Amino acid sequence: MNVIKAIYDFLVGDMIILVGVIITVLILALINSLQILAPLRVVAGTLLIIAVLGTLLATLNRETKAKR
Amino acid sequence: MQWEVATTAFLASAVEFVEAFTIVLVVGVTINWRSSLTGAFAAAATLALIIATLGVALVQFVPIDILRLTVGVLLVLFGLKWLKKAILRYSGIKALHDEEAIFEETMAELRARGETVSPQIHPFGVALSYKAVLLEGLEVAFIVITFGSSAASNVCSQTCGINSAAIGAAVAGLLVILAGALVRAPLTQVPENTLKFVVGIMLTTFGTFWAGEGLGVVWPFADASLIGLAVLYLLASFVLVTWLKQRKQQRLAYAQANSHTVAVGQQGEAKP
Repeated sequence: MNVIKAIYDFLVGDMIILVGVIITVLILALINSLQILAPLRVVAGTLLIIAVLGTLLATLNRETKAKR
Repeated sequence: MQWEVATTAFLASAVEFVEAFTIVLVVGVTINWRSSLTGAFAAAATLALIIATLGVALVQFVPIDILRLTVGVLLVLFGLKWLKKAILRYSGIKALHDEEAIFEETMAELRARGETVSPQIHPFGVALSYKAVLLEGLEVAFIVITFGSSAASNVCSQTCGINSAAIGAAVAGLLVILAGALVRAPLTQVPENTLKFVVGIMLTTFGTFWAGEGLGVVWPFADASLIGLAVLYLLASFVLVTWLKQRKQQRLAYAQANSHTVAVGQQGEAKP
């Protein structure tokens, strides 16, 4: 358990960032693999950028609330 | 040689080397240089072994697309973590990372343990130096291997990418050691937050680009879109810093107004 925590702290150490990035990758993987979602492939790059910035905003928002 | 890879590896490694060097310096000054350097060299040897085995395994056995996706995601995680810290420090919500404070804190800790300068090898000093160099060095190794192996292109193979990143990291290490030896003091002059901010932007940029490629995204203007991504993240970061500064000021104003109301209320109660 300590090893997993050490790896988690080393790589990210922030649950919001981890969950945000995992959800983004899963959604983009679905868009890339499912034929029904093929029209969304044109905006996949934009979605990725928005998701990354959204994750950053969410974690910063959490930090400011935690400091109250 | 890939200059953009070498530069990013240089900047990212410089941050880690500064942190590791501060601890090595503290151990050298408070315990002795023999213990400090023994720990540092032992950690460097361990790191060389890790890089040699992991680096070779990655290059030989993992397909480039899977590697790009994995590394892209890891770089985004790493980059966002650094960017978050740098933004919080710029906005004043978190204190600036101060190498001088780390130096003083570690010195006080060692003094409290009764450590004094003696010529013999001291196990605690070796362990402290080893741990610091190994942990910070692991981050450097991680950046060199992942960054270098994913940077393969038509003109540069995976090995060439790792070599470029390794050169960047090695130059950073040498410069930090040289600067430290010259000034003989913790490297407080290095603006660490600025460095972390720039590296955070670069890691997030490369991470987004490679993760996107691994997920089938076709970037407009190919590699040139890296510049656009970096500019976009830079602008977004400045907006976020401004927003956080405003939130902090609002919170301060609210706290002041509250304390004023409480003080007035107490005065009113005190009157007969």
